Amino acid sequence: MSFQLNCPNCGKRAVSEFSFKCEYMERPEADADFKEWGDYIFLRENKKGTQTEWWFHRSGCQSWFLVERDTTNNTDHKSFWYKDLKQKK
Amino acid sequence: MSRRIDSHEFYEVDKSGKEISFLFDGSVVWAREGDTISSALVASGRKIVSRSFKYHRPRGIYDADGYGPESLVTVDDEPNLLADRVLARNGMDVRSQNNWPSLDFDLAEINDVFVPFLPNGFYYKMFHKPKWLWPIAEKQIRKVAGLGSIDTAGRHNSRRYEKRYRFPDICIVGGGPSGLAAAKAALGEGKQVLLLDDHPELGGHSLHSLARIQESPFSELEGLSEHEGIRKLAAELQDNPNLEIMSGAMVFGVYEDNLVAAQWGNDLMKIRADKVILATGASDRHLVFDNNDRPGIMTARGVERLIMVHGIAPAEEAVVVTTHDGGYHTALLLHGAGVKLKAVVDSRASGTEGVFEKQLEDLNIPIYREMTAHRAHGRKKLQRVDVGPVKGGESFQSFDCDLLVTAVGLMPRLNLLSMGRGRPEWDAERQVLRIMNLPEDMYSVGEVEGPADISSLLQQGMETGLAAAKGNEQPKFNRKPEENIEALPADIESGGDHHFICKCMDVTRKEACMSIDEGFDQVESLKRYTSLGMGPCQGKSCHEAVARLAALDTGLTESDAVPTTMRPPAFPVSFGLLSGRAHHLGPIRRTPMHHCHIDLGVKFLDAGAWKRPDSYMDPQQEALYVRKGVAMIDVSTLGKIELSGPDVIEFMHFMLPGKFAKLDVGRTRYAIMIGEDGILFEDGTISQIEKGKYYISTTTGNQDAIYTLFQWWLTTGDYDVQVKNLSAGISGVNITGPKVREFLSSIIDLDFSNEAFPYMHNRQATLEGVPLNLFRIGFTGELGYEIHFPSEFGESLWNYFMEKGEPFGLKPFGVETQRILRLEKGHLIPGADTDALSNPYEAGVGFAIKDDKEDFIGKAFLAEFKQREIENRLVPYKLQEGDAIPIDGVAVIADGKPVGRVTSSRMSPTLGYGIGMAWVPAGSSEAGNHFNIRSLDGTNVIATVLDHAAYDPEGQILKS
Repeated sequence: MSFQLNCPNCGKRAVSEFSFKCEYMERPEADADFKEWGDYIFLRENKKGTQTEWWFHRSGCQSWFLVERDTTNNTDHKSFWYKDLKQKK
Repeated sequence: MSRRIDSHEFYEVDKSGKEISFLFDGSVVWAREGDTISSALVASGRKIVSRSFKYHRPRGIYDADGYGPESLVTVDDEPNLLADRVLARNGMDVRSQNNWPSLDFDLAEINDVFVPFLPNGFYYKMFHKPKWLWPIAEKQIRKVAGLGSIDTAGRHNSRRYEKRYRFPDICIVGGGPSGLAAAKAALGEGKQVLLLDDHPELGGHSLHSLARIQESPFSELEGLSEHEGIRKLAAELQDNPNLEIMSGAMVFGVYEDNLVAAQWGNDLMKIRADKVILATGASDRHLVFDNNDRPGIMTARGVERLIMVHGIAPAEEAVVVTTHDGGYHTALLLHGAGVKLKAVVDSRASGTEGVFEKQLEDLNIPIYREMTAHRAHGRKKLQRVDVGPVKGGESFQSFDCDLLVTAVGLMPRLNLLSMGRGRPEWDAERQVLRIMNLPEDMYSVGEVEGPADISSLLQQGMETGLAAAKGNEQPKFNRKPEENIEALPADIESGGDHHFICKCMDVTRKEACMSIDEGFDQVESLKRYTSLGMGPCQGKSCHEAVARLAALDTGLTESDAVPTTMRPPAFPVSFGLLSGRAHHLGPIRRTPMHHCHIDLGVKFLDAGAWKRPDSYMDPQQEALYVRKGVAMIDVSTLGKIELSGPDVIEFMHFMLPGKFAKLDVGRTRYAIMIGEDGILFEDGTISQIEKGKYYISTTTGNQDAIYTLFQWWLTTGDYDVQVKNLSAGISGVNITGPKVREFLSSIIDLDFSNEAFPYMHNRQATLEGVPLNLFRIGFTGELGYEIHFPSEFGESLWNYFMEKGEPFGLKPFGVETQRILRLEKGHLIPGADTDALSNPYEAGVGFAIKDDKEDFIGKAFLAEFKQREIENRLVPYKLQEGDAIPIDGVAVIADGKPVGRVTSSRMSPTLGYGIGMAWVPAGSSEAGNHFNIRSLDGTNVIATVLDHAAYDPEGQILKS
């Protein structure tokens, strides 16, 4: 991995400055079915293609943000804030 | 014997280099400054430089360019360096590799005689059965085959490698004519340019070309000969402030998003460029014929480089095998250097007669057409070459010579281009393997696109440099028909067992054919089975020959017979370079009191990046200081996070399983953290230090993770909360022991009485003007106060406490002592006593969970855990006096089976017997139950489960 990730705050930086957390997922309701909780904790799609992910600018501005990334081609991606994800919906 | 030339018919020889000397296998070699080890060895008349990997065949310098394995040597104890690339330094110690007893007389050369009997997989097939044979055989085989050996005590170990970074607009790899032209064009557009070249002098192959520059986009070069013109162009660029030149830099990788990695001296250069131009040039194709691996068989460009760059006549008598005008150029250079040319052997029936061919004809040197080299003779050096028809059949004539030059066309150096994910394709028009499609923002130009004359190289370099500067697409260029060199129709199968395709791994064409017969008839499978191209050069010198011969011998079409993917590193890179200096990878974190600990004779413990005091002398003794007197530990490494804001209670109730609404100002509470999966991963304390301001202390290892986690939830949740990571800004000590109250009362203006400052409370005070936060907590099980203060006062306060505490007998103690003390008290350490399967109920910290909240992290899983029966429990235990102390991690055994494990085990200095914590089945987890611990040596001890703790089980000492 040597690509550059776009931080919405700092711009393009080497991906080694960032931490990857996980794919973006909606947290189930507190009283959701236990199976739903199990899936949320343990299952990932690991999609071939575009997926939305959580990234953290660890060695930079220490912001959490979302990245829509094509997993077959790291260089094609869009970064945005979480609040903008909510606006999209 | 010196092979230096004083003058040359066609150019002026540079003799300015100062004379220096170095050792080669213990003998003195004279060199000139500017020489590589190789050129100095050739100049001194040395023929053999190395031994081959498997058959120990003698080898001499081949391309003088480091693209193959021939020049691998050990320099000043550092193995596997390329003599072709390393500049000679006065006094250096160069040694040959992989031979015994000596380079010139190597006993293992006997293997070479057995080549016909040692086909691929011979060893595996031969020593397969009986089973016991292979380990013995393997040992011997490994002894014989190999490269240089690593000397861990060698001189190079003191070398320091660094990582350095560059961010140019345009990065050009290759300082030949097209690279220089591209640089000049891009500079003209005002761009910042970084130019990397792998030789000490810019110019590439043009440095040894006599061709006349007819046309040039830079008119000042017109009419000059190529080697003069290129030096002029390089000199023009030299002082441009927008250009950085790295000569002698080996680019070994090109990665995503235009990251170029190069070794430049002892530095690993990481270059991130907007545009990358790859002008890596071309090498001579590898000609495969019988005995083609002999000292004295060299490539045309290698010979030219030795003559024109280093001023050396590499032999006495030479034969040149060629397929294009370039061979005649080499022949002329040899002639001009005083080498006797026995013959020029041209595979073409007739070709367009080139400039140099015409010149050569006038010299009355015999030219043989439609011929090629059939066979070479000689063992330690070349003695004779058989020449015969290019279509095969009987050889025509033999020539005595000590140099055979192969000028059989050029193969683009595709390694770096291939890393851009492009596959090589056969270009029938240009007669070369090329990579046609590069990723965006990457360009290629020059001979890497196929052979071309100097005018085209300059023109196309210039246009590519402009395109890159302007952000335009890669320009498409056509080659003039006369620029293309027809690929040799076939290499001569003249019988014999020594047609070497891959010199790194000693693979012959016959072996390749046998493997094809065995069914490995695709380039990919052939490579894997025969290890063709898997040696030190990684196929740089043979990939084209492999593809070409695979096509010939398997019947694959030219479009299918393409080289396998070329991956980084394109050149050998030492591990030292990649790892760099240790602190680049892992910073060391020291507390402000670090030097105080050193003065006290501390032994440090690595806790993540932190250096923590482990102990100062005997941890058992230090524990008694705490129990009987007063002692102090540096706790600056703990995480310290401050939370505030209108929604802080709501946020903490969501983040943590506990409840904090009733935690008044001045109170402190034990808290745990669990994940969404319900697993315990952290504990610490939470204090309300001022109205609405909550202060969380975490363990050393988790401070960053927890801060980051808080931020994540603040990003996703709707909480009006501020979080501050004070971990580095605040330092602390824990002063503990029966005399602590007396001691601290004497220096801090605060009521330390049990009524005014009870257990699990916090207070604020100042000491000599320094603001303090004091927390009365009891990790050690003794009366104790954790005192936090700004880090800048760390060292002075530590010294102040040590000085003022002396009358009270204050001693320092370390982490190991703290572990003993907390174990006596039965306090767990998450991560040490728990793991990724430990739920908080089983770990015995269910008391810290208040699950009657609407929602919090881990609620769903905790609810599930609660329903389940408890299977195992983490319990404190004690041994009998005199029992041996088991080590951490040993098994708890019941009925001969492991049923649990000991997580912490220590001798209790206070109580005089072994104590610890262990996971045991719920059935034997009640206080007073016994269980069996088996030590590593097989002995067993019986442990007794304790109710709370071994020391002060009722907590009276803590609370009074």
